[in-house]
Amino acid sequence: MTLGRAHVAGMAAGLAALLSGCLGPGPMPMQGLNRSLAEQGSQGEPSLSGRWLALIANRQGRDRVELVDVERQRPVPLPGLNRPDALPLSVSVSADGSRLAVVRQREGRTELVLHRRTVMSSEPIRMEPEGVPRRATLRADGREIAVEVSRGGLVQVDLIAVP
Amino acid sequence: MSGNGQWLASLVEREGTPAVLLQEQPSGRRIPLPQLRGLTPHRSPSLSWNGRYLALLVQQGPRRLAVVEDRARGRLHRLQLPAGLELERLSLAPDGRRLAVAAVAQGRSQVRLFDLSGFLEPDLPPAWAVRGAPAVSGEAP
Repeated sequence: MTLGRAHVAGMAAGLAALLSGCLGPGPMPMQGLNRSLAEQGSQGEPSLSGRWLALIANRQGRDRVELVDVERQRPVPLPGLNRPDALPLSVSVSADGSRLAVVRQREGRTELVLHRRTVMSSEPIRMEPEGVPRRATLRADGREIAVEVSRGGLVQVDLIAVP
Repeated sequence: MSGNGQWLASLVEREGTPAVLLQEQPSGRRIPLPQLRGLTPHRSPSLSWNGRYLALLVQQGPRRLAVVEDRARGRLHRLQLPAGLELERLSLAPDGRRLAVAAVAQGRSQVRLFDLSGFLEPDLPPAWAVRGAPAVSGEAP
């Protein structure tokens, strides 16, 4: 018995997928959401957690933090977070979307703030010992932040518990 | 940081060469990443919930690639993303079902999302495990 070339190739691809632990062909673009994001100008610094995508978007020449509900494919307002005197550099969102850690420049300083959507307020988080925060990542439950901190020419990672 | 806070991945420089450092918390114990050996990490190490998946950007010649190390299976996945994207940042959802990348295309930085649910097994917190779904919790070394 002989096997056709296509049949052998199909078997090989299936075997390769099985061995690699992959379930399917590869990453699938989320076309609807990507189209909607593309229409809204430039963006960067994405953070995905749960159903939430946080990012920094440029709107009319100003950078601002935005939050998108990926399931509903629509933006969610963030009252109390974006300020006209602040430039966001990095953002991270918790899995339930209730907390965002933001590194931003304000009044000549770089600061880390934790924004709680439920109370619509942002609380500064101090670096101890003093340092310049560069990037922050929230644990999925929003109770801990890993922060890249620049101190005296060295970059260190601090873990900060937040109540 | 992994979704459960147990694992922390960061980029470090060893003798002038960039490397990915994976540590268990709170002990700080270093965990080897054999699948990434020989690759030049570039940016954005991102861990799934239980630390099973580590996604990051690597530099390969003039190109940046998005890769995912599956620590449970000891496999490295090179993600096939659309051509012409200059990858800047990456974020893997804690459950491993979605990936967001920031990439420059035609001079403009854009965030794009990709569905990985048909590609990778989910990495869920133990309480969220679905009956009949592949067991993933605790498989990571």
